[in-house]
Amino acid sequence: METATMTPSPTTPTHAVSMDARSAPASAPAADAPPLIEIGGFSFWYGPKQALFDIDLRIRERAVTAFIGPSGCGKSTLLRCLNRMNDLIDGVRVEGSVRVQGQDLYGPDVDVVDVRKRLGMVFQKSNPFPKSIFENVVYGLRLQGVKNKGVLRDACEKALRGSALWDEVKDRIEESALSLSGGQMQRLCIARALAVEPEVVLMDEPCSALDPIATAKIEELIFQLKERFTIVIVTHNMQQAARVSDETGFFMLGKLIEFDKTDVIFTRPKQKMTEDYITGRFG
Amino acid sequence: MSSSAASTPGGAGLSPAARAGTRQNRVRTLTDRFATRFVTASGISIIAAILAILFVIAGVAWPLVLPARARALPAVVLPAGTQPLAVRVDEYREEAFVATSAGLLLVPLKGGAPSAADLPALDGATVTSARSVTGGLALGLSDGRVLPVTTAVDVTYPGGKRLLVPRVTAADPLVADPAGRPVKTFALAETPDGPLLAAAVGPREVSLDTVTETTSLIGGTTREESRQSLALGSEGDASALAVDDRGQDVFAGTTAGKVVRFDRTDASAPGLAESVPVNGDGAAVTLLGFLNGDRTLVVGDAAGRVSTWQVVKDDSGRRHLARMHDFAPHGAAVTGFSPSRRDKGFVTTDASGRTMVRYGTTGKTLLDLPGAGAAITGVTFAPKADGIAAVDAGGKLLQWDVRNPHPEVSWRTLFGKVWYEGYQKPEYVWQSTGATDDFEAKLSLTPLIYGTLKGTFYSLLVAVPLALMGALYTAQFMHPDLKALLKPTIEIMAALPSVVLGFIGGLWLAPTLERTAPGVLLMPLVIPFLTFAAIAAWTALPASWRRVIPHGYELVLLVPVVLAGGALAIWIGSGVESAALGGDYRTWLVSALGLSYDQRNSLVVGIAMGFAVIPIIFTVAEDSLASVPQGLSAGSLALGATRWQTALRVVLPTASPGIFSAVMIGFGRAVGETMIVLMATGNTPIMNSSLFSGFRAMSANIAVELPEAPEGGTLFRVLFLAALLLFGMTFVVNTAAELVRLRLRSKYRTFE
Ligand SMILES: Nc1ncnc2c1ncn2[C@@H]1O[C@H](COP(=O)(O)OP(=O)(O)OP(=O)(O)O)[C@@H](O)[C@H]1O
Ligand SMILES: [Mg+2]
Repeated sequence: METATMTPSPTTPTHAVSMDARSAPASAPAADAPPLIEIGGFSFWYGPKQALFDIDLRIRERAVTAFIGPSGCGKSTLLRCLNRMNDLIDGVRVEGSVRVQGQDLYGPDVDVVDVRKRLGMVFQKSNPFPKSIFENVVYGLRLQGVKNKGVLRDACEKALRGSALWDEVKDRIEESALSLSGGQMQRLCIARALAVEPEVVLMDEPCSALDPIATAKIEELIFQLKERFTIVIVTHNMQQAARVSDETGFFMLGKLIEFDKTDVIFTRPKQKMTEDYITGRFG
Repeated sequence: MSSSAASTPGGAGLSPAARAGTRQNRVRTLTDRFATRFVTASGISIIAAILAILFVIAGVAWPLVLPARARALPAVVLPAGTQPLAVRVDEYREEAFVATSAGLLLVPLKGGAPSAADLPALDGATVTSARSVTGGLALGLSDGRVLPVTTAVDVTYPGGKRLLVPRVTAADPLVADPAGRPVKTFALAETPDGPLLAAAVGPREVSLDTVTETTSLIGGTTREESRQSLALGSEGDASALAVDDRGQDVFAGTTAGKVVRFDRTDASAPGLAESVPVNGDGAAVTLLGFLNGDRTLVVGDAAGRVSTWQVVKDDSGRRHLARMHDFAPHGAAVTGFSPSRRDKGFVTTDASGRTMVRYGTTGKTLLDLPGAGAAITGVTFAPKADGIAAVDAGGKLLQWDVRNPHPEVSWRTLFGKVWYEGYQKPEYVWQSTGATDDFEAKLSLTPLIYGTLKGTFYSLLVAVPLALMGALYTAQFMHPDLKALLKPTIEIMAALPSVVLGFIGGLWLAPTLERTAPGVLLMPLVIPFLTFAAIAAWTALPASWRRVIPHGYELVLLVPVVLAGGALAIWIGSGVESAALGGDYRTWLVSALGLSYDQRNSLVVGIAMGFAVIPIIFTVAEDSLASVPQGLSAGSLALGATRWQTALRVVLPTASPGIFSAVMIGFGRAVGETMIVLMATGNTPIMNSSLFSGFRAMSANIAVELPEAPEGGTLFRVLFLAALLLFGMTFVVNTAAELVRLRLRSKYRTFE
């Protein structure tokens, strides 16, 4: 049913992507490819309170990496550190490094705005702007100074197709985004993030406010998106992590307890704590 | 225990805990109900209180719009054979004095028989014409004399009973025609130089009789009468005459339908200054008379038309008659006229017996009273303008009670341009009191509304940009610690009594601005320029230097920059003044732009009142900006927007309903603000958009004039009308603002 909404149209570039999405093998790309993001010895403080302790993690390109762990363990914090959204909070401090394609995110000559363009973010609570659907999708492009109506319209369609929303809204893209349903809004936020063609899409519990059908749509979408994008997703839903991700990191109390291929984490975890959490013995 | 069990009514076997739950539920329901009712009642009583105020104000202003009313009183039948010519009544309308062809008739109006007054000065002559003059009647006699008669009523209380005794005293007669021909028509005025009489005795001429009374130290008063003849030539015979009490002009209405003006500027040789056809068709002028104040000339003709005229000066300083108003015409020849002695009202009568009450300033006919059918020969407006008495050819004395307390008020006089006496053209004027008794109050609210809007405009021009930019910076960029300090400080500004602001504005700011006006006007250019320059320099500094000032504290650096900008602007201003404006900007303003500089002007008010409305606009706008959900700005930032882009593209539109309310609340505050506009403007009710002139606002006008306005008078009620207008203005603006705000809010609704 989800694939039906993604009916390929031979005239759009989405076509190739969709085809790839269906024909691509379920397994991740070669494991020995260099990682896109490399987190090394990373610690993070909110004022005096340390939220992350010495994290080491590699995120592979065109793969879905899931962060799981009990509430308050620092998943969102780490995710936000990946596009420096934490800079907005007063008194934060970082140690260690986050390298994206070898470049240190926290280096002295890094343009934060550029970082956020390259690493898009989808929030737990959908946050469409009080503007039309069209204006929401092209917001990022307008920021970059794109004015050409045709370019914007093409990009809008591409992004909406990419987020499997096109067929539902194509007749009403001038209407307010706030007239959409909760699931549609979340997919709109994904489209908005995709429109600027980021390298990485960071998703913080994107389905936590949605019903099972909307959740299933987004999971299907994630599955397709990983052909073009690198995805990092925070989730509380074990099944979701198991279904959509290639690799999973388990966090607890600000520490990365275990990080491995998803099937390894879910079938034969090395750590007792991971196993207890996955089997629902705590958390 | 389950809550459903607890709420089951009448459960006999409930556990104590369940029973406690039931009681708790009941208390909760009661509290809930009570709170709902209390809040509703409070809300309704507030609305009721506001409506009550509105009704009180409207109730006081209401009589202004009531139409004039008249009630006919029973007519008094004069003795058979009486030919009445003119009538006059006393202040209490208890005694009438009727000039008849045989002399003077005393007519008690509250019962009693008419009796003839003893007038030995008649000397056997009959009365051929009569007019009401100051203090009495004047009789034109068949022997060429004019006899002024003083009419009065003495009130005595013999035996505790009120008794009216009419008193009639004849003054020295004036001789209009030594040849002894009968006086056909005349006009008599008491000029500063002595009585002035114009009379028509012979054909095509007016005889002018001046009496000079000289009082020598010994030997008493000597009276000298001199006579001039004014030739009308081809203009026709004089059928009506008028002279003003300044002795400036003599007006003659002719049988050919013209009004001829003789200029007495050179009293020794009065010349025919102009001859104006009144209605073009040559209908004889049957009536000339002056309204109270002797400036507006009323002209009636044989066809029943009534118009008012005024001598105005044209651009070259030449005086000429100008037509002011045409009134609803009578159906028959105009026969009688009497001005109100309180205002610019008058009555005219006609040959078919109709009496009409009019108002000179408005050009309106207020009452149209039918008579008994006989031609009315004389009419008088009672001294208090509360009644009319008229005599007709049928020998009847007709009477009416008139209630018309505010004849001078109409939509035109309140809001439109009105051509007042002594003005060269119609204008908007507010001038409620004057030096002389015959002064006419000019109550146009337009200059006051204009003043209110002007003050509001200039103060919002100052306040809105400052307050909104401040709010945006505070909500989006300022460090929370600094904000916690700054926001209450600005809110305290709102608590500053406006009288203090007005005082500072009028006594310190006004003279300071007068010295530095060019510099102050340059500030809106120089300060932003210097600020941008400073910011550019700051961003060019190495990052390590910049880190000295933490994020959100950049403001601290800008304060000296802004102060320096102000000083620089004043320095440049004085430079510009001496280099380009000839050393004194005020002379330059007058010569180059034709603007005069008042010390207490709109600029002063703009700044002082701007200061008063900044806090409220700032607070409301900042609150709405700060309450834009964090998720929206985070979403924008995550898409690669800078903080400025986020503020302008997401936060500002989302907060726009609140910002709009903020501006409207500021507007409402500025419209109603009184003390500042009272103290910091000159309160001159002029209409002029210049930044450098003052104005008078409605609120200040009420504050200034209400203590002086006699209760129930026209001014009093007009001030209440102004209050109602202020109320209405704020009400309309607030309602419109609320509607727009709701629309905006549903557009920028953020689901929460
Ligand atoms: N803005 C903040 N200021 C101070 N402390 C914070 C802030 N945000 C999060 N924290 C703290 O950092 C720790 C990690 O929070 P984080 O939001 O990353 O947890 P999480 O794993 O995402 O939890 P959840 O699953 O509930 O979303 C928590 O102890 C939290 O209290
Ligand atoms: Mg979280």
